[in-house]
Amino acid sequence: MIELTINGLKLSVEKGTTLLEAARFLGFPIPTLCHMDGLTPYGACRLCVVEIGEGARARLVSSCTYPAEDGLKIRTASSRVMKARKMILELLLASCPQSKTIQDLASAYEVRQQRFKQEYETCILCGLCVRMCEEQMMAKAIGFRGRGEHRSIGTPFDVQSDVCRLCGGCMYVCPACQLRCTYTEPEKAICGGCANLSPPCLEKEQFDDMMCYMKPCVACEIRKD
Amino acid sequence: MERLKSIDNFKALQRRILSDVNPAIPTIVISAGTCGQASGANDLIRVSKRELLSRRLTDKIRLRITGCQGFCQMEPLVVVQPYGTFYPHVGVKEMSRIVEAVAAGQVLRDLLYVDPETGAIIEKQDDIPFFARQTRTILRGNEKVDPIRIYDYIESGGYSALMDVLARQDPPWVIEQVKASGLRGRGGAGFLTGQKWQMLADQRNGRGKFLVCNGDEGDPGAYMDRSVLEGNPHSIIEGMLIGAYGTGVTSGVIYVRNEYPLAVKHLVIALRQANELGLLGSNILGTGFSFDIQMVKGAGAFVCGEETALIRSVEGKMGEPRQRPPYPVQKGIDGKPTAINNVETWANIPAIFTQGAGEFAKIGTLQNTGTKIFSLVGKVRNTGLVEVPMGITINEIVNTIGGGPAGPARIKAVQTGGPSGGCIPAKMFDLPIDYQSLAQAGSIMGSGGMIVMDENTCMVDVARYFMNFLKDESCGKCFTCRKGTQRMWEILDDITQGKGTASELELLEELALVVKDTTMCGLGQTAANPVLSTLRYFRQEYEHHIREKRCSAFVCKDLVGAPCQSACPLGTEAWRYVAHLARGEYQEAYRVIRETNPFPSVCARVCDHKCESRCRLGTSGSRPVAIRALKRFITDHVDPSVFKAQPRVPTSPDNPRVAIVGSGPAGLTAAHYLSLDGYRVTVFEADQEPGGMLTSGIPAYRLRRDVLQREIESLLDENITLKCNTALGRDFTVDTLFKQGYKAVFLALGAHKSRRLNIEGEDLEGVYPAIHFLKEFNLQGKKLAKGHAGIIGGGNSAVDAARVALRQEGVESVTLFYRRLRHDMPALKEEVDLAIEEGIQLETLVTPVKIESRDGRLTGIQCVRNELGARDASGRRHPVPIRGTEFLRSLDTLVITIGDEPDIDYITSMGIEINERGTLRTDPDTLATSRGGVFAGGDVVTGPNTVVDAIAAGKKAAVMIGRYLRGEEMKPTEPVRVPQVYVAPCGISEEEAGGLRRAEPHTLPIELRKRSFSEVELPLLDEDAQSEAKRCLRCDLEFTEPRASEPELATAGVKTV
Repeated sequence: MIELTINGLKLSVEKGTTLLEAARFLGFPIPTLCHMDGLTPYGACRLCVVEIGEGARARLVSSCTYPAEDGLKIRTASSRVMKARKMILELLLASCPQSKTIQDLASAYEVRQQRFKQEYETCILCGLCVRMCEEQMMAKAIGFRGRGEHRSIGTPFDVQSDVCRLCGGCMYVCPACQLRCTYTEPEKAICGGCANLSPPCLEKEQFDDMMCYMKPCVACEIRKD
Repeated sequence: MERLKSIDNFKALQRRILSDVNPAIPTIVISAGTCGQASGANDLIRVSKRELLSRRLTDKIRLRITGCQGFCQMEPLVVVQPYGTFYPHVGVKEMSRIVEAVAAGQVLRDLLYVDPETGAIIEKQDDIPFFARQTRTILRGNEKVDPIRIYDYIESGGYSALMDVLARQDPPWVIEQVKASGLRGRGGAGFLTGQKWQMLADQRNGRGKFLVCNGDEGDPGAYMDRSVLEGNPHSIIEGMLIGAYGTGVTSGVIYVRNEYPLAVKHLVIALRQANELGLLGSNILGTGFSFDIQMVKGAGAFVCGEETALIRSVEGKMGEPRQRPPYPVQKGIDGKPTAINNVETWANIPAIFTQGAGEFAKIGTLQNTGTKIFSLVGKVRNTGLVEVPMGITINEIVNTIGGGPAGPARIKAVQTGGPSGGCIPAKMFDLPIDYQSLAQAGSIMGSGGMIVMDENTCMVDVARYFMNFLKDESCGKCFTCRKGTQRMWEILDDITQGKGTASELELLEELALVVKDTTMCGLGQTAANPVLSTLRYFRQEYEHHIREKRCSAFVCKDLVGAPCQSACPLGTEAWRYVAHLARGEYQEAYRVIRETNPFPSVCARVCDHKCESRCRLGTSGSRPVAIRALKRFITDHVDPSVFKAQPRVPTSPDNPRVAIVGSGPAGLTAAHYLSLDGYRVTVFEADQEPGGMLTSGIPAYRLRRDVLQREIESLLDENITLKCNTALGRDFTVDTLFKQGYKAVFLALGAHKSRRLNIEGEDLEGVYPAIHFLKEFNLQGKKLAKGHAGIIGGGNSAVDAARVALRQEGVESVTLFYRRLRHDMPALKEEVDLAIEEGIQLETLVTPVKIESRDGRLTGIQCVRNELGARDASGRRHPVPIRGTEFLRSLDTLVITIGDEPDIDYITSMGIEINERGTLRTDPDTLATSRGGVFAGGDVVTGPNTVVDAIAAGKKAAVMIGRYLRGEEMKPTEPVRVPQVYVAPCGISEEEAGGLRRAEPHTLPIELRKRSFSEVELPLLDEDAQSEAKRCLRCDLEFTEPRASEPELATAGVKTV
């Protein structure tokens, strides 16, 4: 067992536990976008940063990937953590303002302004869909491509993958587009291929814009019959 | 090659190789690394082989093709061993001569290296300052071996360290030695290598472990790993073998960039040879120790230099870092324990075992042992790879080994550690180079890139460049690194385009700190360094860009426009009148000049032409357009009446009155523009003639009196009253001016008091301050100089005083005494050249100590000689007196010209403040003094300065006084000025333009010059002026050229995207 201190509370956890799991066990809220139980921790969104260590050696690490270490002192909401989280949320709002998840988080963390040039991206490259596809659906149909600002998610050479079963799992987990896929009223969802029995047929270009990897379109497939 | 079966086998082979070599036979060493080959080393190899064969010299001369030796600036270079004769920049023809000379045992003196500082010819490589100050442990190896011959490596002592290690059969001893050496990883972070190996050795060896050589060197401008990989691959293999033996590892990986084809080729050959010889593989030399090395080629992602990303890349996955812990030493390639070291670290291992850990630890400092290779590039005279002991100062590397700045501009900063590093300003060059000091200064050691930047480098642009690199090279996994670098670049790009705001600067800093804090790997954590360190040391440059929309380094295109125009304090469109001149439109050209400058003919003669020093033609390697001479040509050829100044407000006796004190260029300019705005101006002049320093300071041979008078008279109109012989403080005060009804006062008093030397005897007869000496002559015609005259100083007034003295009757000789070297003199270089031509003697490196006298009259001066000491922050070397070198020089006249200052002691009693420099305190934006309604400008504010700056101050004062009188807001006015008027180019082909040389004006023959005050410089001839104007690169066209519409382009066959 490993002994550690989170926000002053002592805790012992099993080897291999992450700081996020330990903190959530004690009930400390830590926001995440790229984390999901059942998928390998990835550490992409950086929202879950916590402060570890003391004095000059104090630093921020992503709690979802950092393994618990003996004697570690963790602060989940220090001013340094909060400052970083607010900036991350501001960056997220600047890139992907239409995501309900991001809007809610920004509101919860009292982010009141967005000072960057506004963009409207449909993906924050959290990689949930990639891991969902690989680890839960055992398909590996999609993955990351490129690096830096050219990084994107898709299939190799944009050719439809043979292993894709159009399960819709990728859209189900997406924090940037989940709203339109799992809308409370499936009929009103933009696509809702996963939940909607009579999906509307959209123009192909629009369909591409939506970061949906279901090719061919579920809607079209259903109509074929 | 026979496979060696035991250590004895190897020793026998080594003996055989050594006995085959006759050390008396000279060896021609041709350096043919990537840098050498790019400069033509392959041709040299071909020529020398042919020469050796055709002259049947193959038994008498050895030829060795090596990797890079470090002095890349001098490539292609040839060294003749064992003598160490060094031939730089060898051409094909020279190569044949060298072969011939080596055969005859001669040295070709005409091809040797010439020290650019002293002009001395240096024969031996080790005597060249670039090499002499280095400690070349690793790079020395590059000279000794042909990288594709393992026998060469063995001959130079290679693999002996491995033999010792194998013979000892004590792996823990190996790790102890590395620990004792104190070696730190050379990849950047500086982790102790011995400690890392110990951790690896302590890991359980269930499924195997890995040793990795990280050769993914990606920093722009850094190439030390490449030179070792290319030049001495066996040293890395030997280092890895020793490491593997010590840590009990059986698999090794060399990860090398695919962009280094020569390194890949040499490594493949080296690995094959080591395998064939039995130095790699299983049961090496019968010791039971097995080790295999596999080479992995990186596909070019910068991030793969980060160890966890490198591991994924070796595994065949996408190169992106992961969380540490677990550290690679716990879980690395395929989950097995892995230790990763940089190329240079591995190359240091054989050195440690050859010379002994104790000896190795003696090099460098206590915490930072050994040597480090730096790749010294940028605006420095000697570029190349330098290997120095740790703890040496930046100053020694940049100024001593690097030879100081490459051009006339001063060095401003060095950037260490590549894109993740930071900039260190010149004032901190005493910083020792070690991991801790650099980190404290906000930079990192990194792998050893060192980019030198001078005043022509814009720090905002540098930060933007690196951020552009990082936003492409971030792996993109961490959101804050991917988006953070993009957003930082976006803001920096805005600032360089003049769109930045102060709040954006705050946001930039805030974001940079968050990116540094929240990213996962080393790349992201250091990605903010270029921004943070430039903000820390060069914040004022950011603020210039944002507030004044100025780029002081003249780099940011959107802020600079045409550099000649933005360099001019008046904003004169130099490009425009040069273009008109090239087209033969002289009157148009004159109008352009006169539009911004009320003293065109004066400036055409005495301007310090800031436009020329910023001319792109000049900063890009050629000589700048002779803009001042072209202006002279125009003003000489065009009647000034083609320009009519247009009054904006009609004259009326009811308009407010303004008093201007001083009738120099600042005062008269202000008077002129205020008069155009309808104000009634009275100009008060203390001397008997208007013109200030133009009349009393500048001699007639530089500025013809009739030209000056014509220009002054053209400015005096019915709104302006001139009162000479009326001095402030003597005849009137500021209070009396306001009482007389003046609504505003502009003080343009100039700087008319010469600074004193503060040595004994300054008030003797025959000793004169510069201003007094020049004024007496220029205004009264009094000739004060006689016999042997001496002038102390190196500025423009020193040269003026010297040349005036020379022209006075009864003067036998004139000597200028200056404390530094000739090229350090602040005077215009052309003026100094002319003075020396006229027979003025120049004594440099001397400082006056005492003035000698007899009966109250000067008899001579005692001076002491100086030597040049350490370079100060400006990059100039400081003069230090040499004891015991005092000497006496007999003189009849001595003029002291070490600078002037305003003569304004009385002014505080008028309610106007003076600052600590002894000049008037003003608001730089509005020129307002501490007293309401009183403005000041020119030398009285800046101290002695140029004519053009005084004119600019006068123009600004006119605007500000106008605003003050009309009750408007006193805000600074300096909009972005980029070229706006299109002047069609005169259509000169590139070849034609390339063939043109800068036209220099002719001067009056010496014999006519010596005793007369006729103008020395003659105007350019018609055809010279025309062709000179055509040399202009026309930087303006980028902004003004009308863009052809798409249909037009289509008909012209041009495709638009």
